[in-house]
Amino acid sequence: MTEPSLRIRGLTKSFGGVRALDGVDLTVPMGQVHALLGHNGAGKSTLIKCLGGAYPPDAGTIEVGGASYTRLSPRESISAGVAIIFQTLSVVDALTVSENIFLGQEWTRYGTVNRRAQEEVAAGLLERVAASCSPRDRVGELSMGQRQLVEIAKALSRSASVLVLDEPTAALSGAESDALAERVEDLRAQGLAIVYVTHLLSEVERLADAVTVLRDGRVTHHSAVSGQSRRELVKAIVGETAGLPGDTAGVTGDRSPGDPAEDIAGKSPTAPAERIAGRSSAEPAGERPQERGRVSGPPRLTVDGLCGAGFGPVSLTVAEGERVGLYGLIGSGRTRLLETLFGRRRASGGTLRVGKRVVAPARPAQALAAGIALVPADRRRQGLFPTLSAQDNALLPAVGSLSRYGVRARGAERRAFDALAGAVGLRPARPKLSAAAFSGGNQQKLVLGRWINDVRGVDVLLLDEPTQGVDVGARQEIYRVVSSLAAERGTGVLFASSDPEEIVALADRCLVVAGGRVVGELSGAELTEQALLSAVHEAGAGSAPPLSPPPPPPPSSSPAQGAV
Amino acid sequence: MTTVDPALGRPRAFSPVGLSVVRRHPLIAVLAAMVLVFQLTTGSFLDPANLSGIATDAATLAIVAVPLALLVISGYLDLSVGSTLALGGLVAGWLAGQGQSPVVAVLGALAAGAAVGAVNGVLCCYLGLSAFIVTLGMLAAVRGFAQQLFPLPLSGFGSGFAWLGGSRIAGIAAPVVVAGLVLLAGALFLALTPAGRHVFAVGVNREAAYLSGINVRRTPFALFVVTGVAAALAGAIKASVLDSAVAGTSGAGFELTVLTAVLLGGVALSGGSGSVLGVLLGVLFLGGLQNGLTLLNVPTFWQQMAQGIALVAGAALAYFAPRTAR
Repeated sequence: MTEPSLRIRGLTKSFGGVRALDGVDLTVPMGQVHALLGHNGAGKSTLIKCLGGAYPPDAGTIEVGGASYTRLSPRESISAGVAIIFQTLSVVDALTVSENIFLGQEWTRYGTVNRRAQEEVAAGLLERVAASCSPRDRVGELSMGQRQLVEIAKALSRSASVLVLDEPTAALSGAESDALAERVEDLRAQGLAIVYVTHLLSEVERLADAVTVLRDGRVTHHSAVSGQSRRELVKAIVGETAGLPGDTAGVTGDRSPGDPAEDIAGKSPTAPAERIAGRSSAEPAGERPQERGRVSGPPRLTVDGLCGAGFGPVSLTVAEGERVGLYGLIGSGRTRLLETLFGRRRASGGTLRVGKRVVAPARPAQALAAGIALVPADRRRQGLFPTLSAQDNALLPAVGSLSRYGVRARGAERRAFDALAGAVGLRPARPKLSAAAFSGGNQQKLVLGRWINDVRGVDVLLLDEPTQGVDVGARQEIYRVVSSLAAERGTGVLFASSDPEEIVALADRCLVVAGGRVVGELSGAELTEQALLSAVHEAGAGSAPPLSPPPPPPPSSSPAQGAV
Repeated sequence: MTTVDPALGRPRAFSPVGLSVVRRHPLIAVLAAMVLVFQLTTGSFLDPANLSGIATDAATLAIVAVPLALLVISGYLDLSVGSTLALGGLVAGWLAGQGQSPVVAVLGALAAGAAVGAVNGVLCCYLGLSAFIVTLGMLAAVRGFAQQLFPLPLSGFGSGFAWLGGSRIAGIAAPVVVAGLVLLAGALFLALTPAGRHVFAVGVNREAAYLSGINVRRTPFALFVVTGVAAALAGAIKASVLDSAVAGTSGAGFELTVLTAVLLGGVALSGGSGSVLGVLLGVLFLGGLQNGLTLLNVPTFWQQMAQGIALVAGAALAYFAPRTAR
């Protein structure tokens, strides 16, 4: 084996009392794509940030290109040859492609930028990543896929030897994802060591030479990808320890032993038939707060031929107490649809009914008055008031309704907050603590909690990526809160997600969205992660490779069976 | 500058009330030190007559600083208050000089201020123009308008109008009483009304406030109008105290003094945080500083320098001071 480009040993990092990374090892040789898998909150981001110099590790070493570091500054990280392409790209929209590539390392001649030489070199780099843009294009006018290639070109210009891609396809369309996969293969052939962070097992199968799975900051699985079944990877990701489909209690809390082989060998599914028929292998039993079923109450939300910028016409209904998922990639129009229902965007046609009333919200305030609430996707920009207290955050829409004669009712506010904090499981349940001090999951509970109070009833709850940036534990609680809202109050829930696991865990029924339209519907037993993935890829890019993966292997072929 | 709105900032049970207030408003300590130094050096700083003089001078500052602070908390800014103050003084003085009753004179000034504030508010809140640009433009435009209307200095407003600035209510100068009422109203508004919560919410995250169903235009618009009214009221009081109003010079530079007081008082220019107590401290600090330096016969340009240094030093202290849990 060639000298590894990147070797991480025993990397450990804690935040407060929480071990985000616990003795993680990761070795990536030149010319290899190493997939890094794990749930949100498993430690992937922390690992990347230690590598990029954003966090100093508590223990362990990082070797890059032969040099060993116990901690890196961002500058050292770059000069050592590490390039990280984050999900939120760090390109400057107002500058041209070549200016972005040479940002901070401009070529100068007589003290001025040698634009021409830069553009020539940039053109070469762009060719290397097969980008179709010109060095003189403004980055702000490029598609997400092209911007990403510009970032990769920038990394190459700094002669990076280790390239980290953090969920690179999350913001890309199907065709763009395929193009990116080809670029990754090219770069591997050029000898880069690539760490590829992803949620999508299909990408792992296509690209990865080796896989590491993190869970709760530990490596729970490490292997060459060939010969891996999805099932084993999924087990390592979710830490599934019990095979009983009905067992919902112990799963998330359980910490399985570090050795994945033993883990799999020790626990064999006891009801294999049902697992294959009804549930995807990727569905941890614990993410199922309620049994899925056909909910056939009177409609809470009826959308008929709704059109708007970038989507439509869309028709759908959400019954009383029903949880309907909208599954689609980013850019499929899910967010625009939800924002139009909420009056954030203007509809250009179609009708919208809450119960039997026809409503046409022109502003969020009108949608709320009609009983429609939205938990937006971008918590920091659209949801949270970071410097305000938890109570202010959670009760903001209710303060006016609680007040009497224009004066706030402090006692009633406090009671409402306590009730709400209990309902969503807010931790810590301190009303005066500023929202910025809470974890991502608890911040999301605050935003969600805005629409869970007795003061102001919500008939239809819209959620956009309800658990983005939320740790696993809080995820479960958010699912539980949303489900009980639907079950107990009959709230119609319509939520958008690009995470098939989330759809399977939370939805009674799922609509597949692509190109701004509903292109498919899945419910009951057919609602599995695999079915969702293939539905959206078939609908999305025609050029997408057949993504319908082999069905989960029958239990007889898994090592688990032999052990029992 | 540590700023917590009064509603949330109730001291914890285990810490002495005074201490926690000082921790949140370090300006209190600075103010106390300043008073001590001036008293020791001048020997007359704490005389009742002098204190009453400071209060009267600071009153006009406070009357405008409170609504301006609310506006800044909600994420906006008004730089036109100096010119509005001049306009208000001129309108009130002119009406009084025409033989109108003081009440009519003051109401006329308030109407002029409300008009200026409404123009600012419509342009900034409803049309979404930058408050900095709009009110900078209005600063010049209103001053020019006032000079056009009243090219000559006005004076001799009559004894009835002099009552506004000169009379005493229960031994306290009328302007101080007005300032006290404005401070109280501002504090109660922030602490007790839903709209007071909305001011913070809009200032911290306008988009999130909008998506929470809050009317993100109405409250800031109202604050623009109130700020204009307050500036005109301050102008009327000044005209009454001085018994003169000059279109070219009245209230020149006042907008920056008020803003200095507001920022010294811990209101964040980026919006979303601040308190009325802080504003009061900022006003008292600036008023006291000016008065003390005058007593010490420090030339005016030194006083201006001291004011500027105080602002920058205050900001630097707040920036480098260890952050308390927020």
